[in-house]
Amino acid sequence: MAETIIELKRVTRSYRRGSETVSALQDFDLQVPVGAFRAIMGPSGSGKSTLLNLVGGLDRPDAGNVVVDGAELTGMSPAQLSRFRADRIGVIFQAFNLISVLTALQNVELPLLLHSLGRARRREQALRALKLVGMDDRIHHRPAQLSGGQEQRVAVARAFATDPKVILADEPTGELDRHAADSILDLLVLLNQEFGKTILMVTHDPRAAERAGAVIHLDKGQVDRIVPREPVSEQPAGR
Amino acid sequence: MPWHLIGQNLRAHKLRTLLTIGSLAVAVFLVCFLRTVVLGLEAGVVGSASNRLIVQSAVSLFVDLPLGYQSKIEGVPGVARVCKQQWFGGYFQDPSNFFAQFAVDGDRLLETFPEMQIVQGSEEAFRASPTQCLIGTGLAAKYGWKLGSRIPIIGTYFTRSDGKPWEFTVAALYESKSANVDNSTLWFHFKYLYESLVSKAAEGPLGVGVYVIRLAGGSDPVKVAGAVDALFDSGPLRVQTTSEAEFQRQFVTMMGSVQTFLGSIGGGVLFAIMLAVLNTMLLSFRQRFHEIGVLKALGFSDAVTFGMLLFESLGICACGGLLGVTASLASASYFARSMSTILPTFAITGATTAMGLGLAISIGVVAGLFPAWQAMRLECIDALRAEV
Ligand SMILES: Nc1ncnc2c1ncn2[C@@H]1O[C@H](COP(=O)(O)OP(=O)(O)O)[C@@H](O)[C@H]1O
Ligand SMILES: [Mg+2]
Repeated sequence: MAETIIELKRVTRSYRRGSETVSALQDFDLQVPVGAFRAIMGPSGSGKSTLLNLVGGLDRPDAGNVVVDGAELTGMSPAQLSRFRADRIGVIFQAFNLISVLTALQNVELPLLLHSLGRARRREQALRALKLVGMDDRIHHRPAQLSGGQEQRVAVARAFATDPKVILADEPTGELDRHAADSILDLLVLLNQEFGKTILMVTHDPRAAERAGAVIHLDKGQVDRIVPREPVSEQPAGR
Repeated sequence: MPWHLIGQNLRAHKLRTLLTIGSLAVAVFLVCFLRTVVLGLEAGVVGSASNRLIVQSAVSLFVDLPLGYQSKIEGVPGVARVCKQQWFGGYFQDPSNFFAQFAVDGDRLLETFPEMQIVQGSEEAFRASPTQCLIGTGLAAKYGWKLGSRIPIIGTYFTRSDGKPWEFTVAALYESKSANVDNSTLWFHFKYLYESLVSKAAEGPLGVGVYVIRLAGGSDPVKVAGAVDALFDSGPLRVQTTSEAEFQRQFVTMMGSVQTFLGSIGGGVLFAIMLAVLNTMLLSFRQRFHEIGVLKALGFSDAVTFGMLLFESLGICACGGLLGVTASLASASYFARSMSTILPTFAITGATTAMGLGLAISIGVVAGLFPAWQAMRLECIDALRAEV
């Protein structure tokens, strides 16, 4: 059994909406081993995004503990959480969220600014990530000049460029057509299998979920069940 | 600090950035200009000579002194020389062509005001005939007057009975070495004025506005002033003797409301521009709402997002400030020339440019602080949830 990289212990998170309190996660427990690729599914409002936000240190639990890569996030200061994100987390959003005024290359270089690299090293690392996602021929394009699939590939490069241990993707294919979605999923599988990244990917698409090693089903702020991928599809039987 | 992102954001909204920079430049230019005007008004006080005293009526500057006072004042120990000085108040062709003209004792003028140096023509030529005059180089340059030029001056207090303008011939040009005497004055012989009045060739008050005392070396100005005042204590017209600086200050005080007025214009403009920059920055923050959330998700700290907005504001304001200061320096000689007669000292000092830049930067800080604070406090998840 591989070592655990993400652990949530009795985590509760609720939000105030006007006078009522909405519970997003309740008494939530989860362990994710190093190098796992987990899809997260569940109805809208079941707490999927909240889970990713807590793991990424973008949000704090009301109660319980979140431990990522040995770091206890609960007691960290905002500055420490920022540092933690910069060092260990890569994020991919449904809406790509590239910075519109920056080129593809500058977007990928952006998180690298938080690492003390020289200019040349920064460029080199960004270019390598862009090459990996097959966008090295459009490095000077701005987001508006790219298709959705291309934008998302740049976003994958941005998440990967800093060499984080964990990549969090919230519906990364939600706005893409089948073809573009497949190429993003291929990249995530590549990052997982070739580079050993631990990946949590929220998705509504069963075909996307199939690419993960296991699917965590959430319901009403709790883990409903965890379904490992059928060995058949994992290792296609050679004929 | 992602400097290029700050730069790109400014470039992405080129028009807005340029307009804001432009309005700041105009404000800074105006403030530098106004301050220079105010400093120009005060220049006479700053440059005043300490070895001169001015005798004026104790009632008011606008009350003339009797002619006979001159010799009495000259008898006071410590007084080296006394020179009459009468404000003539005429104009050349049109009232808008205003410059100062004084009727003085032609043979005493230059020893009383040694800071005036003849650069063309000679003192002898000036003294040669009562209708000769001495003009500043600034005045000569402005109207193209040369040695021998005849200058017609239309009198206001002193009018000629024949209805014609007064006429003076340029005998010499002077240049002043000190700010209290400007280069835009026409000096002519009191004798000419006096004789015209006495012979009824002209009409106007027969008196002297002020007597300028040149002190003897080593004499105590306070004592001399006291002695002169005491001389006329019992009338017929009491006098008030002051240092030249004190005398000049009267005019500045008279202008006091002008300074306050100019100051409040400057302040008001700056305040308005500050609000404009603040508005720009708030707009920028609102447009950047989502982007700030993304930056935070990538690991940029609250401090960096704070700095980004602040530096953006500072960048705009520093550019505007530099532009405004540069414009004011570039146009200084033009204004110095065109206003030479009403404001002989118009020089943009280092302190003024520093103040212009300082104010621009202060506006940058003040206008950037609130948006920067909002950016700092922005919760990443709230920003990201707000769909664009
Ligand atoms: N910042 C927030 N403020 C108020 N309510 C929130 C906030 N974030 C999440 N919620 C609520 O918490 C619940 C879980 O949200 P979320 O984790 O986004 O669900 P999912 O991603 O599974 O659709 C929902 O009811 C949602 O409305
Ligand atoms: Mg969600």
